[in-house]
Amino acid sequence: MAERSVTHATFSLERSYDAAPARVFGAWADPGRKRRWFAEGEGWQIDEFTADFKVGGFERSRFRFKGGVPIRNDTTYHDIVPDERIIFAYTMTIGENRISASLATIEFRPDGGRGTKLVFTEQGAFLDGLDKVESRQGGWGELLEALGRALQS
Amino acid sequence: MSARSAVHGSFTLERVYDASPARVFQAWANIEAKARWFVGPADWQVLERTLEFRVGGRERLRGRKGSGVISTFDSVYLDIVPDRRIVYSYDMHLDETHISVSLATVQLEPEGGGTRLILTEQGAFLDGYDDAGSRERGTRVLLEQLGAALARQAAGDR
Repeated sequence: MAERSVTHATFSLERSYDAAPARVFGAWADPGRKRRWFAEGEGWQIDEFTADFKVGGFERSRFRFKGGVPIRNDTTYHDIVPDERIIFAYTMTIGENRISASLATIEFRPDGGRGTKLVFTEQGAFLDGLDKVESRQGGWGELLEALGRALQS
Repeated sequence: MSARSAVHGSFTLERVYDASPARVFQAWANIEAKARWFVGPADWQVLERTLEFRVGGRERLRGRKGSGVISTFDSVYLDIVPDRRIVYSYDMHLDETHISVSLATVQLEPEGGGTRLILTEQGAFLDGYDDAGSRERGTRVLLEQLGAALARQAAGDR
């Protein structure tokens, strides 16, 4: 029988963007906009990106880095407050192995005159020793940087 | 604009049951078996129960409390390893108010002839809803009810 284990961990990231909450929220809510900073990138091949941004809606992205092993993100939206909050659960699967199940809370708060402070909190269950919270936190840190670049363009 | 907030927290509960991991797992996987323990208090009345036990499948349990408040549990299964592990995320509503979103992990480990169950809940409590530990207490009661259902089943087998 395969070894099974679960490591639970939580992390939080904050970023300030020089864009209104409605615009930052829209970068998550609009599948076309989200795809650009979330999935596309140098060396990444996108095999699927289907989003249904509504409470109870399901989103799947499948991608590979430089022809490597298939990676899949399956997301279910639990809570949506326009321009203020998104909560979703998601799993990451590499090849045939599910490596994590997580709950992510994204809060959009007005920051200064017209900016937004984004607070990202992930509560995760990392499965069977196949992933670590440190690498997950690093990955989301890079994604939030990519979001910042997308908001500037 | 209403005040929005999300307060994050977690808890872990452990129980040892005198039943095999396969049997404890079935008490979660099978709708009739789950209905024997996944219920509200005595003055609670079930309104709707569905269970689609597969990864990506949904579950709903709606019931009316003695106070008249309707509680709704809506769940999505994220990971299932037969006889070993169940991970799901779920929403709780009280009437129309969305009070929480949680990630729950149930781990089953053989122990002696029985099973150690470890339940970990990581949650976001929403918009000032003050849980004050009631989720943990409520989950503890559910695990006691699960133990009683497993004991009744074992007695019925003899």
